[in-house]
Amino acid sequence: MDLYLAATNDSPEVDFKFSKHSLSMKGEAFPEDASKFYYPIVVALDQYLKSTDKQEINFDFNLTYFNSASTKMLFTIFQLLNQSASTHNRVIVNWHFDEEDDTIKEFGQEVAEDFPMLELFLIETSQA
Amino acid sequence: MEKIESSNKAGLSEIEANFVAKSLMLKVDAISPENTNTEVSNYFRDNSGVIGLPVIENNKPIGLINRNIFMDSMARPFHAELYNRKSCISFMDKTPLVVPEDMSIQELSFKVVNSGSKTLNDGFIITDNEGIYLGIGTGEDLVRVVTNLQAEKNRLVMESINYASVIQKSFLRNSMEDLQSSLKEFYLHWEPRDKVGGDYYFCKKFDDGFFLALIDCTGHGVPGAFMTLIMSSFLDHVLIEKNKSDPAGLMQIMNKKVKDALGQHDNTEGLEGEAKYAKMLDKDGSDDGMDAAFIWVDLKNKNFTFSGAKTPLYTLNPGDTEVAIIDGDKKGVGYVDTPYEFEWTNKTSQFTEGMNIYMTTDGVIDQIGGSKNIAFGKKRYTANIIENSKKTMTEQKDLLLKEFYDYQGKQKRRDDVTIAAFKL
Repeated sequence: MDLYLAATNDSPEVDFKFSKHSLSMKGEAFPEDASKFYYPIVVALDQYLKSTDKQEINFDFNLTYFNSASTKMLFTIFQLLNQSASTHNRVIVNWHFDEEDDTIKEFGQEVAEDFPMLELFLIETSQA
Repeated sequence: MEKIESSNKAGLSEIEANFVAKSLMLKVDAISPENTNTEVSNYFRDNSGVIGLPVIENNKPIGLINRNIFMDSMARPFHAELYNRKSCISFMDKTPLVVPEDMSIQELSFKVVNSGSKTLNDGFIITDNEGIYLGIGTGEDLVRVVTNLQAEKNRLVMESINYASVIQKSFLRNSMEDLQSSLKEFYLHWEPRDKVGGDYYFCKKFDDGFFLALIDCTGHGVPGAFMTLIMSSFLDHVLIEKNKSDPAGLMQIMNKKVKDALGQHDNTEGLEGEAKYAKMLDKDGSDDGMDAAFIWVDLKNKNFTFSGAKTPLYTLNPGDTEVAIIDGDKKGVGYVDTPYEFEWTNKTSQFTEGMNIYMTTDGVIDQIGGSKNIAFGKKRYTANIIENSKKTMTEQKDLLLKEFYDYQGKQKRRDDVTIAAFKL
């Protein structure tokens, strides 16, 4: 089952098209209750990864802000993906950031270091 | 754990408990189906304030006659002649809202809203718990009480947060005084997002130097403030003459203390799949801690030792054109995913007089703003430092804050903000 959550004031758009092996998060993440927001996402992702083998999974990561509670939850997500990448699937993470946004860029570098099985590409975007 | 909130009758809950449907009750005469429409007309004529007239049978309400609907109906051609002598139930609303006297104002509000505009206009009938008619309440009174209740609750919450802010500030005062007596040139600026917050600074003066900590605890607002008080009392307790020059060691002690005190140990081992994530995202289990910069400055031997938990230190020597960044370790203090025995790293450097040292919590770096709505970032922060480094520390603070506020613009503040700097 695919998972789609529309963006709100404090949470990002989550578009996990499991059927197409295409995942995307976009926007900002600082939900008041982080556990409540991430729990269904993590559970759905876990179930999907368990039943998926020898696929190429693409994850478009396009967040411009996430607070510390979200950071912990995002790490859980990357941990799951990393695990899957080391055993069953190929996981490509497209880490989008604005050319001037060194904060998000550094974060991407950190994720690449901490989760070496992910094929993480830093993708600089420039907006007018 | 047993939920006790619902039976709690203190303070805020007490205010709610004091207001029930009965508080709104008007003792209005009721009539019975034996009464005629003529009698209803007379009643409305003699009691101009009454909008709804309840109809009861065997002391139990069966309907509510609305003044305007009744008058309009009776004013139609021949209606008076036709209905005058008939039972008053002809024009009554047979399904008015009926509530027991002890229903809470909140539940009553939901019921009134759900029953549509009819109830707001006509009012509702109040009975005892056996359903015996007692009186009526009006929509107007309900709106007034709900508004007052809300204002009173807000006032109480704001008052308690304002006072909490007084307490939190008074905890910061000692640190400020210790820093003042250690240094000539410095700034410390603490700006919680919600009056109180999870950011904190701590300073203790020793004979040969001072220890300064900039702390960013989990959360903001009241929960964040709770954490800062826990952290600062731990730190105050463990920081002594013997270990003042070992900030990394202090972080390790703090890490263990927080984990022990809050029971934050990695308990996901051996669990699989959903059970594992349920545990990880468990709302009852806390996962709190702090990011921090700890620095010991030895004024006698002219060196400093820094240890960082996901927080760097920024230094600038006179004449430098670039800010040097000393990175901290990547683990926060106390969090579930930080191992119990984790060791942070001490980084010691000699300093020459005139060196500037800067610290900030992530509230500045991560704030969204600017024309692209992206984070303020380290580049902007260090560029501001370079640009203003020859000015006094107070001027530097003002200029940094000005750029920060301008950058934030119309965006909401995302986090607590604390900045500190000093000249050696």
